[in-house]
Amino acid sequence: MSAPASALAATSAEIIVRLVGVEKHYRQGKIDVPALRGLDLEVRRGEFMALTGPSGSGKTTALNIIGGLDKPSKGHVFVEGRDLATMSRTELSRLRRDKIGFVFQAYNLVPVLTAFENAEMVLRLQGMPSHERHERITKLLDDVGLAGMHDRKPAEMSGGQQQRVAIARAIAPGPLVTLADEPTANVDSTTAEMLLSLMEKLNRERGVTFIFSTHDPRVMARARRIVRMVDGKIESDEIKPEIEG
Amino acid sequence: MAGPRLPTLAWRNIWRNRRRTLITLVSIAFGTLLAVIATGIGDSSYSTMIDHAARLGGGHVIVQNGEYAQQPSLKRTVRADPAAMDAIRAEPEVRAVVGRVSGGVMLATSTNNVGAGVIAIDPAAEDATTLGLVDSITRGAMFGSASDEGIILGKKLAENLDLELGRKVVYTVTDKRGEIATGLARVTGILETGALEIDAGTCLMPIDSFRATLGYAPDEVTQVAIFLADHRDSELVAKRVASEQGAAFGDEVAVLPWYEANRDLAGFVTMKTTGALFMELLVTLLITAGIFNTLFVSVMERMRELGVLAAIGFSSRQLFALVVWESVWLGLCGIVAGVLLCAWPYHYLSTVGLDTAAMTGGGGTQVSGITMSQVLYVELYPPHAVFIAFAVVFATVAAGLYPAYRAGKVSPVEAIRVI
Repeated sequence: MSAPASALAATSAEIIVRLVGVEKHYRQGKIDVPALRGLDLEVRRGEFMALTGPSGSGKTTALNIIGGLDKPSKGHVFVEGRDLATMSRTELSRLRRDKIGFVFQAYNLVPVLTAFENAEMVLRLQGMPSHERHERITKLLDDVGLAGMHDRKPAEMSGGQQQRVAIARAIAPGPLVTLADEPTANVDSTTAEMLLSLMEKLNRERGVTFIFSTHDPRVMARARRIVRMVDGKIESDEIKPEIEG
Repeated sequence: MAGPRLPTLAWRNIWRNRRRTLITLVSIAFGTLLAVIATGIGDSSYSTMIDHAARLGGGHVIVQNGEYAQQPSLKRTVRADPAAMDAIRAEPEVRAVVGRVSGGVMLATSTNNVGAGVIAIDPAAEDATTLGLVDSITRGAMFGSASDEGIILGKKLAENLDLELGRKVVYTVTDKRGEIATGLARVTGILETGALEIDAGTCLMPIDSFRATLGYAPDEVTQVAIFLADHRDSELVAKRVASEQGAAFGDEVAVLPWYEANRDLAGFVTMKTTGALFMELLVTLLITAGIFNTLFVSVMERMRELGVLAAIGFSSRQLFALVVWESVWLGLCGIVAGVLLCAWPYHYLSTVGLDTAAMTGGGGTQVSGITMSQVLYVELYPPHAVFIAFAVVFATVAAGLYPAYRAGKVSPVEAIRVI
């Protein structure tokens, strides 16, 4: 079986995210709690990567820092070569809007907006013309299996359908990387398989880079690179054989 | 517009919790009702008082000798130039213009001598719309002409002089040259206003007869009284008359709007309107606190969602604007609710009014000799209506500023906890 083109290209593709000696400490009262202890990581365009590890290993903190939601206590995070530490609050907002897609465990759709409006929200923020937005979101919602559900509000959809809308919202602007924290945690196994197939398809066909934080063995089974974290450090970084090509 | 349609999103957000929003709107509406009724009663009462005062005194705008206000004297006169009077009558704001002679007289009968204030008028030019006392003639009638020998006395004044209708009274004045002058008048009417100050100290006389006694020229008066359709135009008309017609009335002429001629009443109105404004501010603060509570709770409940919006690219400014838009919608809906709530009470109070006679014991209240009406009506000045509408929106937006600030400062990672 031959490896997909995007996967073959991954090893030689450009590095889009780079973490250098990243440390993160939280204060709990007077106690200093280390969440990341010198994390070094490089993510290449087109990767389909899982961050795994036990609870408290620092997976979510790592995703937050990559996404510009949190700042490291020490070290540097580069996205497309730009050090996030040098960016203002407004620049970080723009970075998240234009370069980072987020898929949340609890979907986190805006309840008063329809599926279409939720998915197009970021494109509106970007100032994309109406007809372009309409065209792109219509195709995207159809691609993620929500044809005919554009006008439904989150409360009128199942968990799996809401997560599809969340995926559509995340990838609609064509982000550099999509971060997904336990995207299958709140759905049944059938829906989880469907969502994973969808994200895998988006990775293969559209070249969307995914980084998952997950415990789910189904996600790990599909991921082409598995980074295992323990106590805020990378314990192992495995690229599956077919990706190595 | 680049970015999401924040007004649309904000509109939908305020209806997420319908009950809470409706309660907030009801509180805004009641606040608006309170402001409209309180301000409307004030506007109506003060208009009535000012018009009343104008009809008892020298009109909404008074043309008189420049020194008359400080030292009222029958020596200080102006010319009621017919051409100037006609020109003033032609002004769109002007309802009537009359010349009068006002001053002090000593009235004497065989039994008593009493000092009184006199207003000498032309009965052909005056009616109840220019001189309220005309309506208060309870016995007898107005003298027949400006050159009549009649006199109308306040009821208490007549009693003090032991006079009845048809009886004669001698009046003594200091004429224009400073000489004592005497005239004879026959009582043609008795007036009763209920205000002791007027009933015991005022009489009306025909202007030409009085002029003759004083040695005045035919067009000489102490005051030219200008009556307006709306007292709020008094400053405008006073300035226009002073600049365009002032010279026609003489060399030392003062053209005064009512609030300069009647400082007691002006002070009273100012005091009352300031007090009302203070009360309205208190009400506005209470409403603002209610709206603040609604918006703040609403924002705090949505911190996670706002954190998600921040995570996917909303800027602080856009999150701030979103909540401000929510407060703007609440304010605008509050005005609509306020108008709906005010419609019937306003219509009722502006047409039927509220009879306070039972509450005040039926005696009425006097200010500067002016008896306030026992029936309270509501008539909101349009600028005050606009002010109230702006105040509601301003209060609502002000109440939303801190919640909006909190929304703009949301930390996505703290709000979401996990991505």
